[in-house]
Amino acid sequence: MKSLVLKDLLNIGHNAKSMLFILLVFAIALIPFSGVEGYIFVCAILCSMMIVTTFSFDDNSKWTRYAMIMPVSKKELVGGKFIALAIFCAVGSLFGLVVGSIGGLISNKITLDLIGIGELLFLTLISWVIALIFGSMSIPLVFKFGAERGRVLLLVSFLIPAGICFGVYQLLATLGVALTDQLVFILLCCSPLLALAWCYVMYQISYRIFAKQEI
Amino acid sequence: MDSILQVNNLTKQYDGFKLDHVSFSVPKGAIMGLIGENGAGKSTTINAILDLIHNDEGTVTFWGQELSGSKQLKEDIGVVFDGINFYETLTPAKVGKIGRTAYKQWDAHLYQEYLKRFQLPLDKEIKTLSKGMKMKLCIAFALSHKPKMLILDEATSGLDPVMRDDILEVFLDFVQDETHSILMSSHITTDLEKVADYITFIHQGKVLFCKTKDELRYNYGIIRCGAALFDQLDKDEILAYRKDDYQWNVLVADKEKAKRKYKNAVVDDATIDDILLLYVKGDQAK
Repeated sequence: MKSLVLKDLLNIGHNAKSMLFILLVFAIALIPFSGVEGYIFVCAILCSMMIVTTFSFDDNSKWTRYAMIMPVSKKELVGGKFIALAIFCAVGSLFGLVVGSIGGLISNKITLDLIGIGELLFLTLISWVIALIFGSMSIPLVFKFGAERGRVLLLVSFLIPAGICFGVYQLLATLGVALTDQLVFILLCCSPLLALAWCYVMYQISYRIFAKQEI
Repeated sequence: MDSILQVNNLTKQYDGFKLDHVSFSVPKGAIMGLIGENGAGKSTTINAILDLIHNDEGTVTFWGQELSGSKQLKEDIGVVFDGINFYETLTPAKVGKIGRTAYKQWDAHLYQEYLKRFQLPLDKEIKTLSKGMKMKLCIAFALSHKPKMLILDEATSGLDPVMRDDILEVFLDFVQDETHSILMSSHITTDLEKVADYITFIHQGKVLFCKTKDELRYNYGIIRCGAALFDQLDKDEILAYRKDDYQWNVLVADKEKAKRKYKNAVVDDATIDDILLLYVKGDQAK
């Protein structure tokens, strides 16, 4: 599996310069107006989308067919995509944190006190979680429909988790559970575990789709 | 016969095409050439052998074991398809890194040696390499995890004769070790005439024959004759025939016998190309 992740990182490395440029443009456009928080979130989401690009590269070079004659199982091939996604999300959110903090300091949007730093770190973690949830939804879609159509369906991968969150919010409201700040904080603290559970479900769906395919 | 690869009754049904009970084996120390026209089923056979498609029927074993799920078997099998399977922005150096993490048996030193032998630059992106260089990179990659069996699907297609000759030399070196074997599908039958020990001919999804190359080369012949002599030919001896403008070309399995029997006929040696053409474009007598 290590080889699969390495291959994705080496492939996407070629796009690093253009991604860096985009993220810096967003830094200039977003930080002065939307603040550092929004920027970290955008960085994480944009980097999570790179997972679909790795599928395009694979299609382009007929990599999957070759990977299957290497000492790699179908489970590992699918698992490798989720690990690559987690890395992309981490790189995106950490980049957002570093550049966002610098931009925030320059534009006086943040202060370097303990609470401010803690909030930013917490927000970075939450951005990673949200990007991971959105990105992991795109993986089964791409396995099912291919990279090109999957890219179009990327919107679905954003709408479904958002829809589920909205549904849960409505359900809680119907049940009379008020979303207090404390409850939201607890939910956010639990969100990394929820994201991992969500990824596991997406992994199982992806594997089932891929296992049936002839390459 | 001590075989590395054993294919038994391999069957796969598609709409409009059926790979029909394909059987053959690749002995140790031998190169098996897989020939057939476009769409005959060569690539489907190779895909089924490599477990890339699900077989409807039949078995494929390497050293007596089925491939599916066995990582050790995959370490021992090197595969080269007709194009490069690494993304075009990678370099041979990066491809080597992937190989090192993928294969336990990866030999980085051997990979470097192949790159040097093939004059492949370490840091040039794949997209800047010629088709021949790309194929050489694939072959270097496939050989650097020290496989015992090589499977090549049209690996020499689209290469110039000099490049093909270089690559065929590598394959001949590979089978110098008698525990090694090669299964090689190719349209370029002259390549197979140079290196193959056995030829398996697939036509319309079925194996027409699986014979040693020498048997084809020394025994098979083509009778060139007119209509009168054609009518006199023993139909049981005819494998395939085709009428050109003024001449019948008749493929027979024993050219010496034909020369003795039909003294007025011209009996030529049959190349693999001739055999393929007569089977595919001609009529089969039996």
